[in-house]
Amino acid sequence: MLLTVVVVGVLLGCGGPESDRTRIRIWHQKLTVERLILEDAVAAYNADQDSVFVETLYKENEELRNLFVTAAVGGQGPELVYGPADNVALYAATETIRPLDDLFGPEFFDQFEEDGRVELGDSTWIIGDQIGNHLALVYNRELIPSPPETFSEFIKMGEKLTADTDGDGQIDRYALTWNYTEPYFFIPFLTGFGGWVYDDEGQPSLDTDATVKAIQFILDLRDKYKIIPREGDYDIANLLFMDGRAAAIINGPWSWSGYEEAGLDFGLARIPKMDETGLWSSPMVAVKGYAVNVNLPDRKIPAVRDVIEMLTSAKMQVKMASRLATTPVNKAALRDSTVLQNELLQESTRQIEVGRRMPLEPSLRQIWDGARGPYQLVMNGSVTAEEAARMMQEKIEKLIADTFL
Amino acid sequence: VIVVAVVAYPFFYNVVLSFSNANIYHLRDWKIIGLAQYVAVLSDPIFWNILWKTIIWTVVNVVFHVGLGVFLAVVLNQHFVVGKPAWRTLFILPWAIPQYITALTWRGMFNYEYGAINLLITQYLNLPAVEWLRSPFEAFVAVILTNIWLGFPFMMVIALGGLQSIPGELYEAADVDGASEWRKFWTITAPLLKPVMIPAITLGVVWTFNNINIVWLVSNTGEPNDQTHILVSYVYKAAFNMYRFGWAAALSMVIFGILFVFTQIFLRRTRATEAVY
Repeated sequence: MLLTVVVVGVLLGCGGPESDRTRIRIWHQKLTVERLILEDAVAAYNADQDSVFVETLYKENEELRNLFVTAAVGGQGPELVYGPADNVALYAATETIRPLDDLFGPEFFDQFEEDGRVELGDSTWIIGDQIGNHLALVYNRELIPSPPETFSEFIKMGEKLTADTDGDGQIDRYALTWNYTEPYFFIPFLTGFGGWVYDDEGQPSLDTDATVKAIQFILDLRDKYKIIPREGDYDIANLLFMDGRAAAIINGPWSWSGYEEAGLDFGLARIPKMDETGLWSSPMVAVKGYAVNVNLPDRKIPAVRDVIEMLTSAKMQVKMASRLATTPVNKAALRDSTVLQNELLQESTRQIEVGRRMPLEPSLRQIWDGARGPYQLVMNGSVTAEEAARMMQEKIEKLIADTFL
Repeated sequence: VIVVAVVAYPFFYNVVLSFSNANIYHLRDWKIIGLAQYVAVLSDPIFWNILWKTIIWTVVNVVFHVGLGVFLAVVLNQHFVVGKPAWRTLFILPWAIPQYITALTWRGMFNYEYGAINLLITQYLNLPAVEWLRSPFEAFVAVILTNIWLGFPFMMVIALGGLQSIPGELYEAADVDGASEWRKFWTITAPLLKPVMIPAITLGVVWTFNNINIVWLVSNTGEPNDQTHILVSYVYKAAFNMYRFGWAAALSMVIFGILFVFTQIFLRRTRATEAVY
């Protein structure tokens, strides 16, 4: 009896002024200030009209992808899902998103740079609110007045920056840090030596000279030049940089607003060139944006269309660019004077110019998972760079074969 | 109806899935393929390697949980201990704190350069720092240490309850016979604790065998190189990272079989359900 009363009470409590409105749910993985900007925009939208009610829910990227697929396969899930372009491969393979061409005509897509739309096959699956998701060199201006162009310059500079400041025999400040545990952060080193995760035939290709050289280069930074810490996951690396115990960090746009909030005087620069090849250390570059759940009922299409237009509008992208230094994909936003004059954004764009588009292959998932373990083993000294490259390739191939069972 | 919805349906759905080819490419159009997933699980060397680790993980954890728990319970049950409620509260704290907070705190403490464990080892014991989270063996030890810390309070609470139900006259009679403390423990305390502890140990084995949280959080999803996985964490990874649903369902059934057989044999051989008095 009591339970019935509680359940009825809860159900009644769900009915509010928004209950008559078309409900649009968005699952996203926006962090900190970016999340606040989204929530502010949604709150203003909800207050401005009385036919649609938008709800946002944050989920960590991995969790977001998994839960969305599970929910959508079961005929449920949010109407909109936000995330990086590489999710499209999974969503398309699992048939969990609906082509945006069902909702919009060419005049809508024409508002965006070609790079701002994620297309696979003959369809557009994601419309971006930014392009990037790219790693760059973030440096502390007090310690590095002018960022180096090549790694040899950086190493020379780094040997002075790395210091035992209190004389206790332990290093208190390193020149550079990043997340060693994730192969995504290894990509700029790989590309700096001319490597890539796929060969020309589109097959995973990690057992290459470039991989070996890139791994060896990182080991040299740590063991020979001693300018990076021995260990570093994302949180540790971030803390070191925030505390001034690392002069520079390799990190992405999701972190920059946090550094600003912390009052750090920092700048962005391209990750330096590799002297041996003369190539820039190119990070992967991906659009981040909105996709539509395949289960979206037709009656909600006008509301979803309206919400997407609002979230990808020039106004929204300018706001994001000025507060987060994200690179807009809306053509009108790119012409805006605030965007054109944003110094951080200009530096970020310079990094994007030498980045490489993230592949939209379902097997990218196996590449990350297959490369991660051997990358960690080589960093702890269990295997050599050559062994790690071979192990990466073998593991990736096994994971791909296993997935098809 | 609730039991059918939350227990029976998922269980039988998992059984069906374990005979299917459900994966990232066949999420909507999966079909039954017989025993292929079971064959794949049992013929994969990784399964046997992780099963072996899971057994070590379970045995070491439960031995320490029970050993430490009973030891602390016996000590706290002594008349000479002052401030018993305070001690009890202190020892229960690891159990009362949410697991993920404890796990992430320990992960921070195991950091090579900045973690509290290595600072203690190097500065106070003058020993070299240990690469806790980067080397497979040390990482596995780190995960076990964290779980020992989390698990002993439960056994202590159970043992304390059991100790308080043992009649004092038995110890008085033993005193009259001149029995030593050691003899009293093995002839009175241990046999009378058994009916309480055996079900707790059985539960402890099942919980520890299936404890994904600590492994997942302390080792950051089985790092390095998937060397710190136990079976359940590997199932999770196979299902939700690799989208190998059929394979993961088959492995889940194998885990269920292992635990079912263990529980039946253990309870029967220890005669835990029989009355003592």
